[in-house]
Amino acid sequence: MKRFGITTAATAALFAMALGANGQAPAAAEPAQLGALAPANIKKDRPKPGFDITGTWLHAFSRDNPFTFAPPPDFKLTPAAQVHYDAAKKARAEGKAYHDDIGQCWPAGLPVIMTRVWPIAMVQKPTAIYMISGFMNSVRIIYLDGRKHTDPDIIIPSFNGESIGHWEGDTLVVDSIGFVDDHHWLDNGIPLSDKTHIVERMRLIGDGATLEIEYTISDPKDWVGEWKWTKRWKRVDDTDITEASCLPDLNAHMPSVTSKSVNIH
Amino acid sequence: MKKSLIACIFAMGMAFAHHSMEGFDRAKNVTLVGTVKQFKWANPHSWIELEVPNDKGGVDTWNIEMTAPFVLVKAGWKSTSLKPGDKVTVVGHPQKTGEPGALFVSVTTADGQTLTDRPPAPPAAK
Repeated sequence: MKRFGITTAATAALFAMALGANGQAPAAAEPAQLGALAPANIKKDRPKPGFDITGTWLHAFSRDNPFTFAPPPDFKLTPAAQVHYDAAKKARAEGKAYHDDIGQCWPAGLPVIMTRVWPIAMVQKPTAIYMISGFMNSVRIIYLDGRKHTDPDIIIPSFNGESIGHWEGDTLVVDSIGFVDDHHWLDNGIPLSDKTHIVERMRLIGDGATLEIEYTISDPKDWVGEWKWTKRWKRVDDTDITEASCLPDLNAHMPSVTSKSVNIH
Repeated sequence: MKKSLIACIFAMGMAFAHHSMEGFDRAKNVTLVGTVKQFKWANPHSWIELEVPNDKGGVDTWNIEMTAPFVLVKAGWKSTSLKPGDKVTVVGHPQKTGEPGALFVSVTTADGQTLTDRPPAPPAAK
């Protein structure tokens, strides 16, 4: 037998290697990393989590809890980011929108996806928290099973990044990297790059009815140092998220995103 | 809790959109009398396509940008609130460019019913 260049003798040798010295097939080895929803992973012994975030949450907009992640008063941008910031400022003064990528169906991405005006469904398992935004059904996963960040050489860049969490008492500390390098914005005219690093310290307060997250975000491609914010969400038990997609016929009927004279790309 | 959701949503006011609203002149209203060509009941935004006679003897098609259906439901809307062919009066914030498009404020149907994107005011306490 010789098929595809492999002789019968070579095939026999491969089988012998696979079976081992005693001729028995070895027990299947556990994968290096079990999936977060693998029963064997969920069943592993772990310390009790600090809280159960399972529920539907809505950003609790107020004057002191805005949707936006505005830069601190003394911020310093890199020269490349400053070009965007200045152009956005000029566009605003002219009543125009600058790189309104979300309006063009690009994902909002972390952290902005967390403060949209649609609720977020959050489901907590021992191994991960799954967050599905009512805005475009954007999915975010925070792994809690002890895994490390993916090798930078193979991580697949995304708008929500790769989030790994660990418990510090009643606080969940979430570290996120692995972001895309374009069409991702922190605020009007402030880009986020593939060097973005986001740390969130999450707590439930007020009898579990309020979620508070302290954000520390750095992006050396775009600004100097770390910027910090604290945001709050309310548990909303009278609603669910629904399917939402950014479709071509949606934007065709949204004057705010179709007007070429208003939107600067 | 229901009150809190509604309070949150309506405190947002015109921020309730998934993108920039720079293109609308929110200090102005335009009143459009026309015929519904399409009423789309969809996430994340609903919309009305409205055919409005212009002063040249023709018809302009206006796109009226609306908020999300789950907000409209709380304001009394149904998917059947408008249908093609309905004669309506729409009030909206016009585009700064003068193009035929607006951000929804209210609609009044032929039978005199007015709908906005805000829930009716609660009855006054006695």
